[in-house]
Amino acid sequence: MVTLNVNGVRHQVQASDDTPLLYVLRNDLQLIGPQFGCGLAQCGACSVLAEGREVRSCVMPVSAFANQEITTLEGLPARWAKQKGLSPEAAKSALHPVQEAWIEQQTPHCGFCQNGMMIKATELLESNPNPTVAEIKEAFTTSGPSPHLCRCGTYKAILEAVQHAATIMTQRS
Amino acid sequence: MATTSPGHANVTGPTLSRRDFIRTGGVLVVGFSFIGTKALKADAGRPAAMKNTLDPTLPGSWIEIHPDNTLLIRTGKSDFGQSTTFTAYRQIVADELSVPFEAITTVVAGDTDSTPDGSGAFDFLGEGMPNIRKAAAYTYQALLDLASERLGVPKDKLSVKDGIVSGGGRTISYGDLVKDQQLKLTIPVSGDLTSIMGLTIEGNPPMKPVSQYSVIGKSFKNSIISSKVAAKTTWATDVRLPGMLHARMVHPKTLGSTLVSAGTLDKTKFPNSQLIVKGNLVGVVAPTEWEAIQASEQVASGTKWTEWKGLPGNEKLHEHLRHQADWTSTPVAKGDANKGDAAAALAAAQKRLSATYQFSYMKHAPIGPTMALADVKPDGTVHIYTHNQNPQALRGEIAMMLRTTPEHVIVHVYPGPGHYGRSNGGNAGAEDEAVLLSQALGKPVRVHWTRADDMKWSTQSPAAFSDVQLAVDEKGKLAAYQIDHYMPAMQDDRPIGAVLAGLPTMQAPQPKGDFVSSTVNGISDPWIYAQTPNVMELGHGTFQVGQQASPLAVGLRDHSMRTPGQFQQNYPRELAINEAAALAGADAIQFRIDHASEERVIGVLKAVRDASGWETRPSPRPDAVATGSTPVRGRGVSVMLRSRTYWACVCEIAVTPATGAVVVEKYTIAVDPGIVVNPMQLKRQVEGGAMMGVSHALFEEATFDESGITTSDWISYPIPTMSDMPEINVVLLNNPKVGTYGGGSEAANALAAPAIAAALHDATGRILRRLPLKPAYVQAMLKT
Repeated sequence: MVTLNVNGVRHQVQASDDTPLLYVLRNDLQLIGPQFGCGLAQCGACSVLAEGREVRSCVMPVSAFANQEITTLEGLPARWAKQKGLSPEAAKSALHPVQEAWIEQQTPHCGFCQNGMMIKATELLESNPNPTVAEIKEAFTTSGPSPHLCRCGTYKAILEAVQHAATIMTQRS
Repeated sequence: MATTSPGHANVTGPTLSRRDFIRTGGVLVVGFSFIGTKALKADAGRPAAMKNTLDPTLPGSWIEIHPDNTLLIRTGKSDFGQSTTFTAYRQIVADELSVPFEAITTVVAGDTDSTPDGSGAFDFLGEGMPNIRKAAAYTYQALLDLASERLGVPKDKLSVKDGIVSGGGRTISYGDLVKDQQLKLTIPVSGDLTSIMGLTIEGNPPMKPVSQYSVIGKSFKNSIISSKVAAKTTWATDVRLPGMLHARMVHPKTLGSTLVSAGTLDKTKFPNSQLIVKGNLVGVVAPTEWEAIQASEQVASGTKWTEWKGLPGNEKLHEHLRHQADWTSTPVAKGDANKGDAAAALAAAQKRLSATYQFSYMKHAPIGPTMALADVKPDGTVHIYTHNQNPQALRGEIAMMLRTTPEHVIVHVYPGPGHYGRSNGGNAGAEDEAVLLSQALGKPVRVHWTRADDMKWSTQSPAAFSDVQLAVDEKGKLAAYQIDHYMPAMQDDRPIGAVLAGLPTMQAPQPKGDFVSSTVNGISDPWIYAQTPNVMELGHGTFQVGQQASPLAVGLRDHSMRTPGQFQQNYPRELAINEAAALAGADAIQFRIDHASEERVIGVLKAVRDASGWETRPSPRPDAVATGSTPVRGRGVSVMLRSRTYWACVCEIAVTPATGAVVVEKYTIAVDPGIVVNPMQLKRQVEGGAMMGVSHALFEEATFDESGITTSDWISYPIPTMSDMPEINVVLLNNPKVGTYGGGSEAANALAAPAIAAALHDATGRILRRLPLKPAYVQAMLKT
């Protein structure tokens, strides 16, 4: 039995301590934002935020997250609402600016990796609201356990979406 | 992929019938009827063609018009990130029917029990006449007929705007035309639903003139993106059924190993797991995914397979292809552009080039490995929940494996990781394995391949080599060009689980296969240098490497991948043309322009020259250097005609001779598709394709030893990161006078390689005629 705090909700889950967090999120909690890409922490498709830091849920055992606040793609709107003190009503209809920017820039092709891209973008923009192109490239390439990989090659659209999200977040701060 | 379409027959046209009067609602549905002898025709060795099992008046029709003026469209083509089904298809239908884009509120795509036409997720805009366009054109005529009757105004006196028909001073909406009626429009189709090409709508309904397009040409957003971004999309990976079991496969040790004995499942550690063995197919299932993963690893460690060493190994691949492969059993394909006497002209020439160009195996490498959930019901009905580019073809393959008919197989299609052609012939892996495990257990089973399974047990894009001989005359013109392309069969659609289990599948590729499973290597890169007097293009085909030696008949299974076949042919041609220009002392863009006749070829070349700031001069650059640890820069160009779209790119690189490291700094690409349907979506497709092109050119090589693929993950099969991204500049050339639109999701990935290889020549004065341009290969070439 493991207790998890995910997207502001506490869950008791029946899973062995060594189960990678990804399978608990997807199969026990029906949180489908993070995806299985490699199971090797090599691609980033499974990323979630733990205490605001991007981690790879495909290799990290669930027991490592017992006292941590986890945010998945599903939890980004509420995370933004809480940070901005939005009313519950406003929070319900809103997306995180990163998600808005991803739509505005028409970033995904197949979209399978974009969970990790949006999680990484959120981590970056929370600590660096106005990143340079070099800082964005650094964040998506060398800051984590591995580069965030997109097989469809949407890096330009991702970069432009991060810049767009930064603009939205600055305007609303 | 390149396709050939059946000939278009003139038919008497559609029929509109009224069905039972109904009190509320009403609808116009567009169904179909088979015509002519093409119906029910099966290709040799493929599942027998089936008539559609659907009542055309029920979901499964092409288009529905509802009383509230909304429309629904259905297509067999699954979206793989191209955006076409959610943007271009809606735009095309909206213009043919004169309704707003937003009126099309629902797009149903892929599912075999609710879409009409089948075929694969490729060439969506097929010859400028996708099925959905013709269906819309027929529907428009039927709506005009209805309005004419209702308003008492001759059809030719009616006009339509935003779904409102006007004539004789009166108006009526499409919604009111269908209100309280159930109307069925039957249109003619031909073809074979479960073949790779699916059904084709026949006849020649009047089409909206280009001058009246108002929706085509605008940048509408892709409606599925907002749902994917908000985590509201149900992906194939997300589907769960009651009682479902998770499975992992234990695939053979080599591509030719047979099972000696399966490992014993440790029931003390994994009490809820089960081991299933069927021939050489071994799978482990458990109620939870983590138990299935651990139990399968435990079983795998104790499973014994025979040894097999029937492959040449990638270091000897090209020696094997050149000297051991059988190029004589398969008829030689000849290019349509062949003319003159290339051999005589070559013999007489002063300035000649004779060179061989080598192309490695590459993986489709979806960012998530393949998976499928299957539910075989007690009555034998099979439901498959997966991500598939040709679900109707998969239906036929599963039916063949189970010795049943396609009516018993339903494929439900969900979004998934793009795999760039791997399943356009019906399967990507895992679907058939899930069916066999579910059948054995009587429960729904979800098979998810590991990253290593996906690298080692999927099909790959075939390796190839080409011999080029060309001659340049004293005026600097190309006097003769001969190319001999050699490539193993490219389309092995046999489901791997069925092969391992020893169950019926289609035949392995062979010389007398149908047009997809044949070993014939057709010429698929259209010749565009029309002013060349002597041209000879030949395509030589053979069996897949290891296919005949493997006791499993497996070997290195190949499958078409984004710009299939044409990539393998365009890379040697375009690099050789760069070399020809250098031989002639000419600028590589001007040399191409001087040999082309077609305005659109010249147009894209001039556009890419202007946009890239190209300096007109011969290659290599005057100060080219092949040594030292200071980066040197160069540029190269390439051009391609694919799916009625003209493409040209310029790549600018920096190479460090001492290390062989190549960095692409700038990628400029010009695209003339005729009419640009959706500028924003096309631009994004081209940018993504360009990035994949850099990947193919610099990074991608599936390695293998004598037993199987050794590439297993993203370390052993690297693809680019964001830091590898060049400055990308896309130039869209909207060219409405062409009168139609061409494809935009392919070609960009293939164009980069010859341009980058030419840029390496420009920078260093040395040519590497082998892909990919890995540092070790570049370094070794520069040192010799």
